[in-house]
Amino acid sequence: MNTNAKLKDIIIEELNLEELTPEEIDDDAPLFGEGLGLDSLDAVELVVQVQKHFGVEIKNMEEGRFAFRSINSLGDFIEERIAA
Amino acid sequence: MQPTEENMQPFQQREWTSRSLGTRLGHNIFYGLIRFGGRRTAYFALYFVVFYYMLFRPAIRRRTKYYLHRRFQDRKLLARFKDSYRMSLELGKILIDRAIVGILGSEKMKVTLVGRKKLLKLLDRRCGFVLLMSHVGSWQVALSALSFMDVPVNLLLESEQGNIDRHYFEYTGTGSPYRIINPGGYLGGALEMLEVLKKGEVLCVMGDRVSGSQKSFLKVEFLGEEAPFPFSAFKLASAAGVPIVVLFSYKNGPDSYALRISNIIHLPKDLGRSGKYFLPYVSKYIEALESFVQLHPYQFFNFYNMWEKKNEYKRET
Repeated sequence: MNTNAKLKDIIIEELNLEELTPEEIDDDAPLFGEGLGLDSLDAVELVVQVQKHFGVEIKNMEEGRFAFRSINSLGDFIEERIAA
Repeated sequence: MQPTEENMQPFQQREWTSRSLGTRLGHNIFYGLIRFGGRRTAYFALYFVVFYYMLFRPAIRRRTKYYLHRRFQDRKLLARFKDSYRMSLELGKILIDRAIVGILGSEKMKVTLVGRKKLLKLLDRRCGFVLLMSHVGSWQVALSALSFMDVPVNLLLESEQGNIDRHYFEYTGTGSPYRIINPGGYLGGALEMLEVLKKGEVLCVMGDRVSGSQKSFLKVEFLGEEAPFPFSAFKLASAAGVPIVVLFSYKNGPDSYALRISNIIHLPKDLGRSGKYFLPYVSKYIEALESFVQLHPYQFFNFYNMWEKKNEYKRET
């Protein structure tokens, strides 16, 4: 399973978005606000889940701001960190 | 007190405001009284000003009733007026005290800290913690007395536009001794808060008001009726693996305050996203808050209907 697909599963399961399917989540849609409608505590949970599942830490707001733009951004961020 | 698991309904908009009721001129007169006459002179003027507000600004009396009617049931009309006057007077005194600390220095106010050893023990561990405060007593005087803590302290603080009340550190123009995290910032400041906790710093947040449009609150019984309380501080503490220190401040004399660490709440790490996981811990805090208002009924300053039902969306999420 590629990183984006795994991320979608995590978001659906851990952030209680069971009404969505992975196919319905656009890889380029914003995660917060208008996109998936996640909120600030979802962001905290996402930090926790990314560390738990990928061993990648989102250390600060700047990293979060970059990574949390979309599924694609977050997937790229994780893959870059794993490769580093 | 029976907490319920009904939760996760987003708040439409907040009911409360932190804006001052007085005018800029009124504030400046009080600052002048403090500078040239000291605390007693300012208090003396306050008795009349509050009485005026009680008589001629019924909206202010209304804003006290939501809490007072629940805290003191079966009160007659005159007793209700007195309660409202006393609560407003207490708030006025606390605002004056805050200005005194800012203008004349923190040494003008005696502050005792009950539970200092517990706090020092936590600080020794260098693990960081959430300092959970409430709109009781004077949190600003409390913070000014916690300057002995040798770790960076961060404060979640929203500066409401148009508010002319100053924070105690704004009087001297030296700037805040604490790092201010703006809840209006990116993702409500959540990532900044998580970051500082992970670095072993202290994060001060208020636990008794829900702000913004969020689904991060739980309904817990408070003074006989369910009210929404945020659980974001608990979520952050769990994610960062740090404890929550519940701190109350109260005025216990004309020029003195006490700070009391009522309890330290340890949460399991990474409890999850759902509010239901945090219910037992939020309930512990609300129990402590309820005990506080039983002991200090006129020092609880939520001047809005925190039990209001109309704030809720109809849909479940």
